[in-house]
Amino acid sequence: MTFTIDYLALAPELVIVGTLLVVFTLDMVLTRPKKFWIATAAVAGTALAAIPLVILGVQGETRSMFDGSYVVDEFALVLKGLFIVAAYLVLLMSHHYIESERYYQGEYYFLLLASVLGSLVMASSRDLIILFIGLELTTAPLFLLTGWRKGDAKSNEASLKYFILGVLSTAILLYGMSFLYGLTGEITFSGLAEATAGRGDEPAMVMAILFVIVGFGFKIAAVPFHFWAPDTYEGAPTPITAYLSVNSKIAGFVALLLMLYIALPGVSEVWAPALWILAALSMTVGNLSALRQTNIVRLLAYSSVAQAGFMLVPFAAAAVVGADLEEAFAATVVYLAIYAVMNLGAFAVVIAGARKTRSGELSAWAGLAQVDSRLGVLVAVFFFSLAGIPPLAGWFAKFAMFRSVMIAGGTTTVVLAVIAAVNAVIALYYYAKVVKTVWVDDPTGEFVEDVEAAPAVSLRLALWVSLALTVAIGFFPALVTFVGDASRVIAVGG
Amino acid sequence: MSPYFESYLTVGAFAGLGAVLVLGMLGIAAVLRPTNPTSAKKMTYECGVDPVGSGWSQTYVRYYVFGLLFVIFEVEAVFIFPWAIILERLGVFGLVEMMIFIFILVLGLVYAIRKGVLEWE
Repeated sequence: MTFTIDYLALAPELVIVGTLLVVFTLDMVLTRPKKFWIATAAVAGTALAAIPLVILGVQGETRSMFDGSYVVDEFALVLKGLFIVAAYLVLLMSHHYIESERYYQGEYYFLLLASVLGSLVMASSRDLIILFIGLELTTAPLFLLTGWRKGDAKSNEASLKYFILGVLSTAILLYGMSFLYGLTGEITFSGLAEATAGRGDEPAMVMAILFVIVGFGFKIAAVPFHFWAPDTYEGAPTPITAYLSVNSKIAGFVALLLMLYIALPGVSEVWAPALWILAALSMTVGNLSALRQTNIVRLLAYSSVAQAGFMLVPFAAAAVVGADLEEAFAATVVYLAIYAVMNLGAFAVVIAGARKTRSGELSAWAGLAQVDSRLGVLVAVFFFSLAGIPPLAGWFAKFAMFRSVMIAGGTTTVVLAVIAAVNAVIALYYYAKVVKTVWVDDPTGEFVEDVEAAPAVSLRLALWVSLALTVAIGFFPALVTFVGDASRVIAVGG
Repeated sequence: MSPYFESYLTVGAFAGLGAVLVLGMLGIAAVLRPTNPTSAKKMTYECGVDPVGSGWSQTYVRYYVFGLLFVIFEVEAVFIFPWAIILERLGVFGLVEMMIFIFILVLGLVYAIRKGVLEWE
């Protein structure tokens, strides 16, 4: 029996594990006034985890471990980088929010880092079991974190709904996976790809694949599996909502795409129509529901449901007509990266704004720009970017999506592209409505005007980083095209 | 029918046989036995002792936390037994790995003690 463990390839995960233990120990040792060291350690550890990533990226070789079950290739590195940057921004947003409300601080960072660890593991997973463990490690801490505001009934509701539907989706997903294993006797993706090819006409195979898609549908909050999302997003602490809508959603997406692209490309005639329907429904229902929202967090929740639909478009379109999936895969990863940056920015601005308005209701935000024009500019930047208006980053995400659809060609694809185009216009209405409320409308109430209400340094840093990235990617899309190109170098493993 | 589903036929046969067996035994007993219920016979059987009070009773919620802590040691044992069997082949590497594993679990226990979970008042 020999073990070959490539410690450098595992270094990002190991650094996060180390940080996690340090945070945990600090929480036991420190007294309340010194608890800020916990946040500092968490932020520093997350930043430290990026160093081995860069080293691995410069070396640029594919490393495979455990009989090809765990692979560190360019695709995995890019996604790990994305997860770490997003986690870093969420930690910066959390710091003051958690400190000001007298929450349990140590446990908060511990659980958040555990979730980050899960997403890092998942990006490298190339078999069903590691994928499942990674995905669950990403989700399980969030059940607790959504209910972090213990005294608030809405937070409890959020946690309970997320927990029940999360467990349900896990059960369905696992059931589907067990069928896949039962039918093929394989757990590695490469093995599955060989064993499933051309077996799309077996009823048991169809059922297994549909179970897997439904399970992931819950995780990425695609219509009709999105009902938990608005309530959970509204009740959870806002930094956790940001984390849910970015890291947790991207983790679900990556898992889904890994399975479909590497493990099940031979039975695309089964999952392609299902994905097509999910994409069309998510865009349409998400956007139409968002039109009616008066709460800014609920609006962002429905917007993220709709964005999930947009992200599914390239893959669904290419698979339906049987085109090459590589282009679609790259487009989706580019979309994920841009979505992460601008959505985190939008949530950071919501946290900063809520310190002045003391409310998530859109009516309380009226005329905010008259008091704080810098905040007004930030609202405009992030919401217009989400709508996809050049020169902000969002336009390139939409561009990459439509481009890959056009490359695929075919009637069903064009229908999906038309649905996406109509939805992009609908989305502009409600994103612009937020900007209009902040800039044009007259204030309906008083804003909190004291020093306390000014965004903390860490929150400001989060805002600056996401602002810089959103604008820079908009002007120089080449910054993210390497993300898409890297995902072409995906190693199958085994 | 694919061989995959054919193997489920065995499961179905066993389930059917089980159902027939249970229904048959209870059915024959119901036909043959004399029926003469008295209040003493209808009482709930609890190890031969007369039941006191209602079926609902309160349990100290702290037992839940103790139960949870017990799980830590259960998990530890589940991993330590197979590890102990192949320890000689694993060598120092295996020893270090297990120490790390136990260290993390002990950290959890220290955390529970620090939070005052084990203080009984």
